Amino acid sequence: MLDLIEPALFAVLTIAIVAAGAGVVLANRITTSALLMAFTFLNIAGMFVLLGAETVAMFQVLIYVGAITVLILYGVMFTPQSPRPYGLFFQTQKYWAALLVVPIAIIVALIAFSFRDSATVGAKGGDLLPLATSVFRDFAFPFEVASVLLLAAMVGAIVLVKRDED
Amino acid sequence: MPLGPFGIDPVIWAPLRLVIAVLLVVGLVFNGALAQIYLERKIQAIIQDRLGPLHTGPWGLLQTFADAIKLLGKEDIRARLTDKWFFLAAPSIVFSPMLASYVVIPFAPGIVGADLNVGLLYMTTLGSMTVLGIVIAGWASNNKYSLIGGLRSAGQLISYEVPQILSLVTVVLVVGTLSMVGIAESQPGWQLNVLVLPLAFVTYFIAGLAETNRAPFDLPEAESELVAGFLTEYSGMRWAIFFLAEYGEVTVVSSIVTTLWFGAWHGPFVEVFPLIGVLWFTLKTYLFVLVFMWIRATLPRLRIDQLMSLCWKVLIPLTLTNLVITATLLLVFPSTVVPVAIANWLLLAAFVVLLPYVQRRRLVALRERLRTAA
Repeated sequence: MLDLIEPALFAVLTIAIVAAGAGVVLANRITTSALLMAFTFLNIAGMFVLLGAETVAMFQVLIYVGAITVLILYGVMFTPQSPRPYGLFFQTQKYWAALLVVPIAIIVALIAFSFRDSATVGAKGGDLLPLATSVFRDFAFPFEVASVLLLAAMVGAIVLVKRDED
Repeated sequence: MPLGPFGIDPVIWAPLRLVIAVLLVVGLVFNGALAQIYLERKIQAIIQDRLGPLHTGPWGLLQTFADAIKLLGKEDIRARLTDKWFFLAAPSIVFSPMLASYVVIPFAPGIVGADLNVGLLYMTTLGSMTVLGIVIAGWASNNKYSLIGGLRSAGQLISYEVPQILSLVTVVLVVGTLSMVGIAESQPGWQLNVLVLPLAFVTYFIAGLAETNRAPFDLPEAESELVAGFLTEYSGMRWAIFFLAEYGEVTVVSSIVTTLWFGAWHGPFVEVFPLIGVLWFTLKTYLFVLVFMWIRATLPRLRIDQLMSLCWKVLIPLTLTNLVITATLLLVFPSTVVPVAIANWLLLAAFVVLLPYVQRRRLVALRERLRTAA
């Protein structure tokens, strides 16, 4: 019976991720979308826990739910509340969207169904120590390059929004 | 057939254990909040030379129970122009991460919900989720003051997360584990981390005050300028859930302090009766809860620009310096923490001595600028 818990959790998380992800796109209100996005991120963190990668799950929640969603909500909060219904609706550009999405969906489906043998994941692959070794030792240079890129982006943002002292 | 604890089938024991643990924690949070509100009133009364609650029950002990029953009995009001689902969801979004953080708190040897190997990260993660609920509460209330409260809260909590996590990382560097149980076990007897890392303790405590929205950092719910901020439109039990979450959060921050710097359950007789650890843990935690109240009764509320400049200009550089120095010293002297301790105490002394001096110089400069502008 205990063996059934993991597939059951996987099913619940999958349905939640897909449903909330669809909700993000289809919901009529931008705040609803933002909150559903946070919910999707939480469920993805649950997936990481199922895979035995607790550390990655924690960072997922810390960064995506705790920081990014809050920043998005911070921006969204300046939009006024409107009496529009919550109802799902389809965007007006649905034909163009379909044209763009269908080829990508076919490719993704082909790749997804081409997996036969599950990739061998090292035991405790998402644990803190292997993660730290790969980031700070094996891939230290790309990591530093990414840091410099982020720093440049941050400095650029500050320069852009800084008003002249007058 | 394998037998779990108490001769119960493990298949039944696993969910049963979950139910027992959740009920225990809910009881802990609710009763803790009742006790803390009573303590808060009494301590503020003592500090302000008043008597505090006195008439309901002996020494006014039943006052908070009466208040709780009153809150439960109140009509559940929702203003018509609030956003229904968000308004209803916000208290739960604030409350549930706080409840979930109790999973990794080590109350005594062997008494812990789950010994996660990333326990500390788990707690900071859940702490960062609270802001989501507060922002949503502010927005859903459809009220200018609530919105400002929510915005302030978002800015404040995201900013103070940085010094908070940097202080925690310093401890993790010294101890070498993220597991709360591991950190607790690393400080037997008098080898408390606070003797090694006093500065990290002070910076974490300040950041923790801000993270829990407690005075002097209670700007998101400032009653005198924002008519209680994001709480304005809430009443009855929904309002009470926000307060339960706040007091629960205070307990969580205090127990992090207890675990990381003050040896968690360690105390006399713990080796003989492990259950006594719960007593030591609770006493230490409530000591810090009392310090929270003491600070609330003593310090006036900061202004929003002071709050931000304290975080970005003082705490973050300080914690970063502390982190770099600690990491360097640990690399140079891998076998001893004495150099780290010396550096940390020196930095703490410099912080305490120099902060008023720097503040005074800033004030003088500010007045000078205002005078020339006028």
